[in-house]
Amino acid sequence: MSALSRTRELVAALRHELGAQDPLPPAPPLPKVEPPPVRVFPTRRTESRYAQAASAHTTALLGIGHVGTRYATDVVLQFQAELAVAHEAVGTELPDDWAARNGLLPLRTRVADHREFLLRPDLGRRLDDASLARLRSDARRGVDVQPILADGLSAVACMGSGLALLEAYTRELEARGLTVGTPMCAKFARVWLEDEIGEAVGAKVAAILLGERPGLGTGDGLSAYLVFGPRVGKTDGDRNMMSNIHARGTPPEQAGRRLAVLTRAMLDQGTSGVALDLANLAAELGEAAGTAYRAPQKRVRLVEVER
Amino acid sequence: MILEPLLPKVLSVRHIPAAHPALLRSYGADPERHVSLGLVTCDQDDPTYVALDEATKHAQVDVVFAKSFYAGAAHASGPLSGEILGVIAGADPDEVGEGLAALLRCLAHDACFYAANDAGTIAVFPHVITSLGHYLSKVAGLAPGSSMAYLVAPPIEFTVALDAALKAAAVEPAQIDPPPSATNFASAFLSGAQPDCEAAAMAFAAAVVDVARRPIRPTAY
Repeated sequence: MSALSRTRELVAALRHELGAQDPLPPAPPLPKVEPPPVRVFPTRRTESRYAQAASAHTTALLGIGHVGTRYATDVVLQFQAELAVAHEAVGTELPDDWAARNGLLPLRTRVADHREFLLRPDLGRRLDDASLARLRSDARRGVDVQPILADGLSAVACMGSGLALLEAYTRELEARGLTVGTPMCAKFARVWLEDEIGEAVGAKVAAILLGERPGLGTGDGLSAYLVFGPRVGKTDGDRNMMSNIHARGTPPEQAGRRLAVLTRAMLDQGTSGVALDLANLAAELGEAAGTAYRAPQKRVRLVEVER
Repeated sequence: MILEPLLPKVLSVRHIPAAHPALLRSYGADPERHVSLGLVTCDQDDPTYVALDEATKHAQVDVVFAKSFYAGAAHASGPLSGEILGVIAGADPDEVGEGLAALLRCLAHDACFYAANDAGTIAVFPHVITSLGHYLSKVAGLAPGSSMAYLVAPPIEFTVALDAALKAAAVEPAQIDPPPSATNFASAFLSGAQPDCEAAAMAFAAAVVDVARRPIRPTAY
């Protein structure tokens, strides 16, 4: 009997049970099933030419198009790959001997392990006793600027372009006739750690250069936070910061120049953060940033598709 | 031949891709949600109800109208009227077309009456729906996706057979319509697990066959 109908199977069995042996008339023929098409054409991807043209000038997610109401598969895969990069950056730990190997004064916060570092920002803002003692005995005191390299939320960024940024920044500062503190590197550090370090070495300006919270496609970005007159208790309103310091954002060389201009302004005005007057710096910052044409940056493609 | 399928005859199938809102409203459709209508008439009403429900499982359509005609197909108002007019409605004409295809497939291969006597003059409908669509589930007050036995027979056969069906398995009566229906039959919906629905439906069919064989019993009266 036709497999299409459970009831017909059951009735045929019942009929047999009731003693009717004569064959039933043949079932009507099953409908013909069309063979599948030789090639299944996917839903056409819809893209805006305007957004695509705009996307050539930015690494932002413009002009990614859509398929029906959804993202195209390669866009979804790219998202997932970029998210994996970000996860990995957050999960990476700065090796204990990395600072010493690179000739930096090694410091450590009160955080015990990486997990605690992620869960307890407050502990990442203070040095442990051994580091504080080492800082007091080994670091140069009474300097104009104390730069601090740190891992922050991306040890990958710190190990990647951290040294380049530290060197560029130091060079630019010295070129402007400022004294620069002992190069140092803090592990498990949060931004506000610069307050305690700057206070301990008696620096006029403290600058912490640390890996920033990774976003999609930027696991290797550094941020720099500058504060005038560092002491524990300063707030974010007292700081100036610069983010996206990486090859596809502001390259370390350029960032070093801009940070030096900013530091000079802090020392001249004797303040930082909201109170710092940036109005007269526009020209200088522009010059430091380099106003020459810079080719548009392309988003790094982790997933390649054939079009 | 007893329990031979009495195949339903589809008398008309029409598709109105974009129906007038007044027509939509008067047949129970909502012009805000429905655009397209699919119409079918058939000489067996109960298999058509099952087939309409089947359509809701295969396409984004609603059964907006389904009514049996008085006294059945033998007394129809015309050669195309049959016993029932069923109407499905949907927002997309393609969906309605797909729904009609599923409906016709069900009428050709699944739902049908069976002959309960050798002459084929007594008809029984002991149908098991393994998974309800959203039309009959609403009619019967059951959850979509549950199993149901859809039982129909003439008055005396139905009465005796329903008793047998209810006693044959762990089934609950979801709805019992005693005679006469519009077509002078009687029907019941029994709910339960699929094996229970199957056992009840087969007990029902066997009892209808038994009444057809021995209508007067005991003979002492």
